[in-house]
Amino acid sequence: MIFLHYSMLFFGGVIVFYMLFVIVSYCTMFTIAMLDLRKRYRLDPSEYDDAHIDAFYSKPVSLLVPAYNEEIGVVDTVYSLLNLRYPQTEIIIINDGSTDSTLETVIKHFQMKPVNKIVRTNIPTKEVRQIYESEIYMNCILVDKVNGGKADALNVGINVSQYPYFCSIDGDSILDEKALLRVMKPIVLSDGEVVAAGGNIRIANGAKMKLGSIYDLQLPNNYLVIMQVIEYLRAFLMGRIALSKFNLVLIISGAFSVFSKKWAVEAGGYATNIIGEDMELVVNIHRLIKEKKTKKRIEFVPDPVCWTEAPNTLGVLRNQRRRWHQGMFESLWKHKKMTLNPRYGLIGLVSFPYFWLVECLGPIVELGGYIYIVIAFFLGQIYYEMAILLLLLFVIYGVIFSVASVLFEAWSMNSYPRKKDLIRMVLLALTEIFWYRPLTLLWRCEGLIRFVRKKSEWGNMKRVGIAEKEKSV
Amino acid sequence: MIIELSLQLLLVILALLFIVLIGFMLYIFFQRQREVAFNKSRDLYLKDYSKLWYDYFFKNNEIFSVVLIPRGKPQVKAIEIIFSSYLKNITNEEITQKMKDFSNLYLKQFYEKDLMSKRWSIRMNALYRIAELQIDELLDACRKLEETNYSKEEFFQLLKIYSIFQPELFIQKIKVLNTHYAESEYRRLFVLLEEDVFIQFFEDFTSWPASIQFAVIDTAGAKRNMKYIDKLEQLLMNDNDEIKIRALKGLFEIGVIENIDPYIPFVTSDVWEVRLMIGKIFKYVPLAYTFPYLKQLLQDENWWVRNQAAKTIAEDRDGIEKLKEFITYSKDAYALEMAQEVITRKQGSR
Repeated sequence: MIFLHYSMLFFGGVIVFYMLFVIVSYCTMFTIAMLDLRKRYRLDPSEYDDAHIDAFYSKPVSLLVPAYNEEIGVVDTVYSLLNLRYPQTEIIIINDGSTDSTLETVIKHFQMKPVNKIVRTNIPTKEVRQIYESEIYMNCILVDKVNGGKADALNVGINVSQYPYFCSIDGDSILDEKALLRVMKPIVLSDGEVVAAGGNIRIANGAKMKLGSIYDLQLPNNYLVIMQVIEYLRAFLMGRIALSKFNLVLIISGAFSVFSKKWAVEAGGYATNIIGEDMELVVNIHRLIKEKKTKKRIEFVPDPVCWTEAPNTLGVLRNQRRRWHQGMFESLWKHKKMTLNPRYGLIGLVSFPYFWLVECLGPIVELGGYIYIVIAFFLGQIYYEMAILLLLLFVIYGVIFSVASVLFEAWSMNSYPRKKDLIRMVLLALTEIFWYRPLTLLWRCEGLIRFVRKKSEWGNMKRVGIAEKEKSV
Repeated sequence: MIIELSLQLLLVILALLFIVLIGFMLYIFFQRQREVAFNKSRDLYLKDYSKLWYDYFFKNNEIFSVVLIPRGKPQVKAIEIIFSSYLKNITNEEITQKMKDFSNLYLKQFYEKDLMSKRWSIRMNALYRIAELQIDELLDACRKLEETNYSKEEFFQLLKIYSIFQPELFIQKIKVLNTHYAESEYRRLFVLLEEDVFIQFFEDFTSWPASIQFAVIDTAGAKRNMKYIDKLEQLLMNDNDEIKIRALKGLFEIGVIENIDPYIPFVTSDVWEVRLMIGKIFKYVPLAYTFPYLKQLLQDENWWVRNQAAKTIAEDRDGIEKLKEFITYSKDAYALEMAQEVITRKQGSR
């Protein structure tokens, strides 16, 4: 009995201190993000946009669209790329041996004709079957290759590309027309000192869209999707902006990021033997930067937006989260030597420990907290108070931060202008700790278990297409 | 005991946080309502007076109507929208002058006030508009901004304003610059300069920092002015490879090559980018003069150089024939492959 008493006190104490640590970290990052966004509040972005639409002030970019069984979404994605306000781009769609009619759809829609083109092999990849060029859009290329996974497809895209920067876009995502111009801003304004930049990912479910452009954004009706909208806002305000300010970003989403081709090739391109290939490339580039002792940076840019389709069923969401967490673990584990290694500067001393402690081990501790609360409830007596203390910390961590993120986004960017939508988001954020949070914690822990057991098959995401979805709402 | 205290403290913190958040939410609703009213007023002006503005700009005898004078911020915003759309789509000195006169008379006071704002973003927006609408009467107010703790971005806008209103001051300021700007930003400044001011950057060229040197060369190319050919050709003698490459690129942009002699030594340059640029530049000279050099470049060790040489040859009227002929006698497998690819491409596109 005494053992139980001390164990309860010990674990309670550990979890409480951990929660306090995380809350303080998040508060700091939130404050940095707030100050940054407040400074830019109501700044007219058109001056920069209008000037840099001229090729003379920007740098050409190859847009890579890896597509595996994306027959529904790929055409809209390409249209959104054709709509981009950017002076010099080439679109490279890479059909990664799809088993559906992705290849035929793209060939038919964009009138692709086979061409003979010599491809320089910067990064070894699976075999390229045929390259096509569009007869209606001069800068649109389709590469048909043997299936080798997303990373391999992107590597083929890098080999085929002719410009010094490439941007990877998921086959189911839609870019805002000014997104590329803005994500390239830190690269252009730093004279290439920024070697990679990632944009903000937002959820498009519920948006009204036509030919690759979103013209009306409404909050979807599905609660699971709204919760993800809130989660994305939170991740963006309590993480990426602050980490980016100090060149500490380890993740820029593979759904929309720009890389310097030279640096990506030198870092070995996308790793094909790992789940989180986007994080792996960022970590590899960071590693290269530190090893070469240069002053290059990787940045996250808050205003360029890439719209993506979020899972709308528990099963698909579970697969996605399991995969994300497993991928993060794999990457961190692979580069574990960088942790607390002063040779890698702040990346080794701050980023890695932060990702290990908060992003990776967080789910285990938090889940432990939930289990603790349940056990304490049955044990009664003095544990009650400890459980209530933990619960209050969860409320701050889960509810307050989420509500604050929703409100702060509403103030600074006003993506969902309807009063009703804002109230719905705030009310739903209040319920987060009771259902959504525990569920995602469970799935992330599952990811950890799969990492330990070295399971690495991909969960297949069922897609209905952003535009298609709208018809059914 | 400690837990109890912590519980109480946490409850108080939580209650306070909730109150703050509720307050923030109410503030957002209030602010949105104000925004709706602002937009309504702005749209009303746009609806009522866009036609009047059109008449004032395009009809010669049209008299300026006093109703167009803004009474508040929403109207200023509406006028900004109208002016900006004309500026983006029409180049007409008379209209620009009308906008400038109007802005100097009726918008000046609004932007002057904004320049003194505590908010960085409001000051920046004012600086954007002063440059865009050419409100030269605010030059002194802008100079006053230099006495404050200005940001790098603000100073860039000030430089832009000086380059439009007082080029001598601009040169003076840029000579003693202690902040670093990106090349693309310098280009934005240089592109607006008159020829006589811009050409001054070629004097004492080596005294400028690298980013200014690069921007000057690129801007000279973009201006496509034949007066800069000499200046750029002189830079080919520079020791810095990057300057050589950019000067060649600038000369390629201008697109006039009167004498190929200065370029011939670069066919054997150690730097592949230089050889690539030579391959490009020879596009402007008849193949009869350049073929021996292009043939050499077609057998270059670098893929891009070979590719460019083949493309340049193929662009000439007799180019395809020359390439076919080359295939019959050459033993260089890479060169042959490239020649073949370009021929196939060229013929495929016909």
